[in-house]
Amino acid sequence: MNLRKLILRRSLEILLIFFVILTILFLLFHLAPGDPVSRMVEPGMTAEDAEMLISQLGLDQPLWLQYLYYIKNFFAGNFGISFHYGQPVINIIGMRLPNTILLFTTSVFLSALAGVFWGKIVAWYKGRPVDTGVTILSLVCHTLFLPWIALLFIWIFAYRVGWFPLNGMITPELWLDPSTGFFAKAADIGHHMLLPLLTLFIIHVGEYLLIMRSSMLETLNEDYILTARAKGLSEKRIRNRHAAPNAYLPVVTNVGLSLAFSINGGALTETVFSWPGIGRELIFAVSNNDYPLAMACFLFISLVVLVANLVVDVVYAYLDPRIRY
Amino acid sequence: MNFSARYLPATLLMFSLSLLLLVASTAGAAQTTLRIGISEEPRTLNVWKASDANSNKLLSLIYQPLYTQDPETLELTPWLAESMPNWDPEKNAYTMKLREAKWADGSPVTADDVVFTVRTIKKYKVPKYHSEWEFVEKVKAVDDRTVRFFLREPKATFLTRTLINYVVPKKQWAPLIKKAEKQEKPLSALLNTRVEDPLGCGPFVLKQWKEGNYLYLKKNPHFFGQGRTINNRRLGPHTDAVLFKVYGTADVAIMALKKKNIDFLWWSIQPGYIENLEKAENIRVFVNEKSALYYMGFNVRKAPFSDPALRQSTAILIDKEFIISRVLQGYASSMESIIPSENRFWYAGDLPAWGRGLSRSERIKKAYQRLAENGYTWKRPPVNEAGEVVSSSRILLPGGEKMEKFTILTPPADYDPNRATCGVMIQEWLNELGIPASARPMSFGALLETVKRKHDFDAFILGYGRLSLDPDYLRSFFHSDNDKPGGWNMSGYHNPDFDRLAEKSIAEMDTLNRREMIYRMQEMVMNNVPYIPLYNPSAIEAVAADRFSGWVQMVGGIGNIWSICQVKPQ
Repeated sequence: MNLRKLILRRSLEILLIFFVILTILFLLFHLAPGDPVSRMVEPGMTAEDAEMLISQLGLDQPLWLQYLYYIKNFFAGNFGISFHYGQPVINIIGMRLPNTILLFTTSVFLSALAGVFWGKIVAWYKGRPVDTGVTILSLVCHTLFLPWIALLFIWIFAYRVGWFPLNGMITPELWLDPSTGFFAKAADIGHHMLLPLLTLFIIHVGEYLLIMRSSMLETLNEDYILTARAKGLSEKRIRNRHAAPNAYLPVVTNVGLSLAFSINGGALTETVFSWPGIGRELIFAVSNNDYPLAMACFLFISLVVLVANLVVDVVYAYLDPRIRY
Repeated sequence: MNFSARYLPATLLMFSLSLLLLVASTAGAAQTTLRIGISEEPRTLNVWKASDANSNKLLSLIYQPLYTQDPETLELTPWLAESMPNWDPEKNAYTMKLREAKWADGSPVTADDVVFTVRTIKKYKVPKYHSEWEFVEKVKAVDDRTVRFFLREPKATFLTRTLINYVVPKKQWAPLIKKAEKQEKPLSALLNTRVEDPLGCGPFVLKQWKEGNYLYLKKNPHFFGQGRTINNRRLGPHTDAVLFKVYGTADVAIMALKKKNIDFLWWSIQPGYIENLEKAENIRVFVNEKSALYYMGFNVRKAPFSDPALRQSTAILIDKEFIISRVLQGYASSMESIIPSENRFWYAGDLPAWGRGLSRSERIKKAYQRLAENGYTWKRPPVNEAGEVVSSSRILLPGGEKMEKFTILTPPADYDPNRATCGVMIQEWLNELGIPASARPMSFGALLETVKRKHDFDAFILGYGRLSLDPDYLRSFFHSDNDKPGGWNMSGYHNPDFDRLAEKSIAEMDTLNRREMIYRMQEMVMNNVPYIPLYNPSAIEAVAADRFSGWVQMVGGIGNIWSICQVKPQ
């Protein structure tokens, strides 16, 4: 099967899976106990006023009718209006998503690059102290509890030492100053990104390193490595040009899926660092029964994961000419 | 090794850049900006829709009500109104005059704006405000600054609840409403109207909302309170601007306060942080009373809690002092009525104090005695013949059958650890008497659905963090008309005497007479105990004492309009 046919077939599959996900999500949210109005009302509000609010949100309709409306609107590009914001959810997601992408995509790429780099080195020195040390360190980093390490970093580097801002994405005072130029603002965002980035990097680098290490170890046992050695090639060339490219594949899968899942923003990271991304919105939407916002967030994440899978498949075929679908 | 050496300069450069930026950002901070830390970003600036605490905090600096409460006496005080309203009992009408005030754009606040606000609420039945205005038959602008409200029937809450709502400008909202009217669901369109520049007449006006990051408000040069003395308080504001910053966790917000990145944490802090804050330099912690109610409720529609004796015995067994000292670390007051004792005017002091001041064994003995008197038995009673407390068998109902296990529903510990812990403590205390209770945490939404809509429960622990100072909620909670799915009488309490008194109290325009009725209503409830009030937690807030002074303490804390109008830079 050629690549074009593969993409077409997988796209149809994605559409079907997406529709199933949409239906399951709709049912999950609407059948779960609780409603968004309960938290909006004060003891003074009468039951009739609360019913009026429910009716305005369209929640008084039979479930099947709500579902049909949702499907109809969804495919017309209308993802609904957030119960709490009173704004189209697409606007809310559109506003938060770039922040999430900026932080998490950067962290995934940096961790993957460092993980691959160190993974191939420690695999090359298998059994030596550097391998043992780095492997143990990677395991420790990978199993660290993110909110704990994040708070610890904030306390040390932002509160005690004062190298970084405590939280957020920008310094309000700086942005409010009319004399602040574009580059200063960009640098300010970069400055705010460093600490969350460092936290995410430490948590994720070990994962890529270990994957790369184990993949590399398998590759190093292959006959063509022996052949390369017999040809008298340098160790560095064998490692970087013959072994490493063949060990990349599992890392590619992992990076692809991590990128997709990173769209949900690692709600914990965003909460601790007050990073205004989609993960925090997701938590708010779920805990406050804001169905349209929560569903749109989940559907968006699902779509990205599905598409990322397709992309990984295509990249696989590109990286490894032996793979044909 | 080579790798580290190669990247060392880049790392150093990154750190230098960070330090440079930090210095730049600190230098840019304006000295007369009051920087406030909040827990979440406001969801909306639409005054008709805003239901979350942070939206309401922000809107309280922009929109203003006709009347407000005095911070010390809690009595109604003219705010946007010039004086107290005149009551005409024959016409059932109130007349009041507005101060000479201006909206933030310089246009005058007129009686027309008040009429417009009321008519909008009534016409569209705006859910947030409708119940407050529903009984107002019509409203008329007598002249530019005089408004008359005609009530369908006398309503005691008109002054204390209705008139403390905001007035909105007609010039901003009339075109928006016209637009909403063209939609299929005008109310829905009105509630979902995006407001980017709310026009108010309060001390501050919104200048910039950098969504996800901060909100910046500048002083309103037309604020009617500026330089004026109201209730012997000279009003400002004395700050040029207010900056709201959002913090995802309390830990980071407290670090920000200690580092002087913010001046005021408008956020109820957990007692565990107090010691740490008090040690910090120039941080002042304020502990104030709240108007809140945390309570245990029973389903009195069905056995076994349809029996008042069992409810009273449960009240005797619950050691509120223990809960306050151990769970809330002393930062709460014990509640002996549905109305918090801090609401001094309405709180009836002389109420049945079930088990107050008793030791554990005295509680068990007293509860045992009450239950035994009402026909409950045990194969092995919790108090032996020598009068000693011993391990008991399961309690038997007056008919002789074993009491079935029942559940105390609580919010989960991640939502509110205090209420979840209370559930477990009460379970243990009831078990000591052979009462087979078991606490069950349930997600908050599911808990409300079960208790408020389905009425499918035995007992529950819930709370209201902000009760109005007017005690009409007593009527909402216990009038039998409100025992319906979604109604506020969640316990299903029915008492015709209470209903009659509640109806009379809401129509009583003489405050002292009404207070007598409210006293009697509290007495009835505390005798019948459909709810056991547990505690009223303190409002704990903290400020950077070296930056601003003049904070005004009142029930609910220092985050109030009086503080905002009075704090001065040091």
